[in-house]
Amino acid sequence: MSMAPARKYVSARIKRVEDPPLLMGKARYLSDITLGGMLTVGFVRSPHAHARIVRIDARAALAMPGVEAVLTGEQVRAFTQPIRAEMSGASYRSTDWAALAWPKARFVGEPVAAVVASDRYRVEDALDAVVVEYEPLPPVVDAEAAMTADAPRLHEQHPDNIIIQARYDNGETDRAFADAAITLRTTFRHGRCTSAPMEGRGVVASWDAADGTLTVWASTQAPHFTRAGLAAALDLPESRIRVIAPAIGGGFGPKMHVYPEDVTVCALARRLGRPVKWLEDRRENLLTSAQAREFVAQAEVAADRDGTILAFRATFICDVGAYSVYPTTAALEPMTAAGIMPGPYRLRGYSYEAYGVATNKCPTGAYRGVGMAFATFVRERLVDMVAAACAVDPADVRRRSFFAQKDTPYTTASGIIVDSADPAGSLASVLDAAGYDGLRAEQRAAGNGRLRRGIGLCAYTEFTGMGSGTFRRRGMTQVSGYDAATVRVEPTGEVRAFLSAASQGQGHATTFAQVLADELGVPLAAVTIIEGDTERCPHGSGSFASRSMVVSGGALILAARKVRDKTLTIAAHMLEAAATDLVIDDGRIAVRGMASRAVTLADVARLAYRPASGTLPPGVDPALEATHHYDPPPATFSNGTHLAVVDVDIETGEVRIVRYVVGEDCGTMVNPMIVEGQLHGAVAQGIGNALYERIVHDDGGQPLTTSFMDYLLPTTMELPSVEVVHSETPPPGSVSGFKGMAEGGTIGAASAVANAVADALAPLGVEVRELPLAPDVLHRLIARAARDGTRA
Amino acid sequence: MKPPPFEYFAPASVKETLDLLREHGDQAKLLAGGQSLVPMLNFRLVRPGALIDLNGVPGLDGIREEPGMLRIGAMTRQRAVERSAVVRERCPLLAEAMPQIGHVQIRNRGTIGGSLVHADPAAELPAVVAALGGELIVRGAAGERTIAAADFFVGYLTTAVAADELLVAVRLPVAPPRAGHAFVEVSRRHGDFALVGVAVTVTLDGSGVCTSAAIAVTGVGPAPVVAADAVAALVGQRPATTAFEEAARRVSAQLEPHSDLHASAEYRKQVGGVLTRRALALASERAAGASR
Ligand SMILES: Cc1cc2nc3c(=O)[nH]c(=O)nc-3n(C[C@H](O)[C@H](O)[C@H](O)COP(=O)(O)OP(=O)(O)OC[C@H]3O[C@@H](n4cnc5c(N)ncnc54)[C@H](O)[C@@H]3O)c2cc1C
Repeated sequence: MSMAPARKYVSARIKRVEDPPLLMGKARYLSDITLGGMLTVGFVRSPHAHARIVRIDARAALAMPGVEAVLTGEQVRAFTQPIRAEMSGASYRSTDWAALAWPKARFVGEPVAAVVASDRYRVEDALDAVVVEYEPLPPVVDAEAAMTADAPRLHEQHPDNIIIQARYDNGETDRAFADAAITLRTTFRHGRCTSAPMEGRGVVASWDAADGTLTVWASTQAPHFTRAGLAAALDLPESRIRVIAPAIGGGFGPKMHVYPEDVTVCALARRLGRPVKWLEDRRENLLTSAQAREFVAQAEVAADRDGTILAFRATFICDVGAYSVYPTTAALEPMTAAGIMPGPYRLRGYSYEAYGVATNKCPTGAYRGVGMAFATFVRERLVDMVAAACAVDPADVRRRSFFAQKDTPYTTASGIIVDSADPAGSLASVLDAAGYDGLRAEQRAAGNGRLRRGIGLCAYTEFTGMGSGTFRRRGMTQVSGYDAATVRVEPTGEVRAFLSAASQGQGHATTFAQVLADELGVPLAAVTIIEGDTERCPHGSGSFASRSMVVSGGALILAARKVRDKTLTIAAHMLEAAATDLVIDDGRIAVRGMASRAVTLADVARLAYRPASGTLPPGVDPALEATHHYDPPPATFSNGTHLAVVDVDIETGEVRIVRYVVGEDCGTMVNPMIVEGQLHGAVAQGIGNALYERIVHDDGGQPLTTSFMDYLLPTTMELPSVEVVHSETPPPGSVSGFKGMAEGGTIGAASAVANAVADALAPLGVEVRELPLAPDVLHRLIARAARDGTRA
Repeated sequence: MKPPPFEYFAPASVKETLDLLREHGDQAKLLAGGQSLVPMLNFRLVRPGALIDLNGVPGLDGIREEPGMLRIGAMTRQRAVERSAVVRERCPLLAEAMPQIGHVQIRNRGTIGGSLVHADPAAELPAVVAALGGELIVRGAAGERTIAAADFFVGYLTTAVAADELLVAVRLPVAPPRAGHAFVEVSRRHGDFALVGVAVTVTLDGSGVCTSAAIAVTGVGPAPVVAADAVAALVGQRPATTAFEEAARRVSAQLEPHSDLHASAEYRKQVGGVLTRRALALASERAAGASR
């Protein structure tokens, strides 16, 4: 009906309104939730990667002080269903993930029995006392080995360990390779990683026998998915379960999945009739929260003599661990990697094979940059290898090979439509901000001492804001894909919005408030954002895959517009003016050019909720509230460029990052400060993947990195300061102008650092094909190159 | 991540501590800064029946100058040593090693004695004490005894302190004139235990010839490795690159390190040599500076 008021808060650097309670210890996290009579749960976890559970003797544990119950897999299967992630498509094989393993355990750390006691100390004492007899089975801990015909099988109902496979060719690949002046082929590997949020997973469940409902507080990114997964596993209708996400200390992906512990805790609450709590400790987190990134790819590139990239061929083998995670399935990583591989490049040909392979390791799932970080590593390394082979600057190869902004929407060689992007503009802005030519000159001047300078670039596209169209295409039928918002002006004029998103630190209370305050023309302080409660918030998907601002934000805008239109209709009636002549600003609705002829939003609300106090316009219903369920276009793409400058000590293999520049384009920025915060954190995680982080198993599938002494997250001491250059290419025809942006930092950083290290070591004949690049790895590569060089 | 049950004691004197140790025998564990012990308790890697807290025992901390020596009480916080002007002046090798131990928060609680008795194979302090030829003063029911560094570090997480004994102090010789020092290490991240670390001292005579030197390497075996053979490549010579390289070669040849998650044996062997060369160069430069 009316034009949106001018944006006042959107695009402003507004301090996060959620920070004071978080920083002052007032926020309520899962561990702060205490209910009367509450018991604590702990899990006996399989010490074997693959073993039959012969028998469990809990008598000694049950006799210990404070111990209330011990539950085994054999028992729990009588009243729970295994978690089963479904997918459409013939090649997918689902797995049954039991609430407690029975009759066999498939990875070290898989829950085998649950102990319920008065507190965590007593729980841990009793865990030691549960005697489990195992019959170890041969484990398979490597995806390539798991694909061989005689490999031990994880899931007997399936003919092999391949959970998902796909093949694709755009039809031009062979010809492009045949025509190419240059073709290169190599194998890339990425170590297994985990997201390690500050707060682990956790669940509190409470069964209300009076009305037969279960209330679940869960550290989840997707309350409605958690509800759906629990309903299926517990044989309860969704209407009987309420999921509440309290303050969450980081999610990064793994908290969108439903886990056996969640099901067991709920089942125990229901059976014991007492509230039950489980909080993952760090060891459990490093053993059992969904992991990521373990890939091998055989990849080929075809290019012209001048370095123009023509085509890629790739085989992605992803180690997905023991089970296919709910609700995205084990297809998430390999298929995302395969789809994003063309990135911002104009390719003639692209073909891939992608496999998700089960192994006796922790299941993998969503982690910031899912699939995209690895495919970007493969692609951006290949691009640099082409640059080296043609003796062309890596920046020039990219510039020559990108699709152009004028060609957007651009259908990539994998068939994905990039709605809008300006890759060359992004590259130029970063080269300019970094002073690229100067950096190259410094590099040449630095010479050939023990510290070698390297400069690395990475260009990427980031899949964001996916609607149901994308999930349908990908066969992920359990992912709703839409999100929703209810906007309500309360009788006293305050504005509240209830969203299906679920913040884990992204600053939703601030950014959604900015969006809503602008849509309604009210002060920011008048707005409160409420998330993370399936009873208060409308049904939707939650917060993962860089979707919240696009999808929940879109729903919020559309719901707010309904409320604004109704507000104007009522105000017009009150002011005896035409609605089109009204302007809203700062919570006041005035007749244009006549500031004194005005009512406040509170005036309008009072009338809307108490129609007897005046008269509503004819045909207008009471109250001031609207809900919108928004299913956006399949996706909108952010894009960006990273530049890293490193010094590598060639005697010790140590890498120091001396400069880091990010060019980020996520359309209209709601809050540039929060965008930068997201980038800083994401870059930190990407640098972790590049240099530090790796989940290591021994040959028997025993994880060796079960504390932060061994799983190394970069700290402030290792991280560079990150310079950010913004550009804004809003998606055409979108509701909001926004794109998602939470993952780009992670996607770009690992590859930029890898390329910088490769650049530094190129004169020594070292090629970088694996991550992470620990000092020991680089030392070995340098020594091998020296040996090969001497031999040659 | 919760410790198994234990009995907690807070003795108020050394005597009371020794009585408790005698009473509980090898069931007892002393608690100093807790920076190694508490994680081990929480992982249930140790299950002591009795935890004897040293934090209320008077007289175990403080830094004192004695003739030719610096005496540091076992309960002296690592951070206090790091910030001590006396340590910086008299025992600069120790001062240089301190900030490389963990993080400020760890050093605020962690003690000198705790680190030495815990004897992590990659810890900095054992290498410093070994390089300097320090002495460790231990008290038991029978009284005090002094153990030379060379006899103190027995093996992996094991020292010569008996179950009914207490480390009370470490004594370190003060740096002579015309001496230089260096502590260099490679760790995965700032504050991590060293993949390999080297503690070095070099002393010159008036004409710039090396009269004595010491090299101790950490992270390359169960206990710090003292490289006497490499030292022989320096003593009697003017410090020069060729001598450093020869010493580095000898150190590498002597090392028989282990492989673990973070570095291979080969890495530790080679980089042990590299760091020796760098440390000797730095220490010699400092010694020459001190001679001027
Ligand atoms: C995150 C982190 C990083 C770290 N990084 C490093 C590092 O880089 N380098 C490094 O060297 N250390 C590191 N540490 C270990 C730290 O230095 C510890 O402080 C030290 O090892 C133990 O000292 P403590 O006073 O905390 O002793 P505690 O943990 O209290 O005790 C350790 C052991 O020594 C025994 N003990 C303590 N005092 C005495 C005594 N007076 N007599 C007899 N026995 C005694 C205890 O019984 C116990 O067995 C790190 C620790 C952490 C948590």
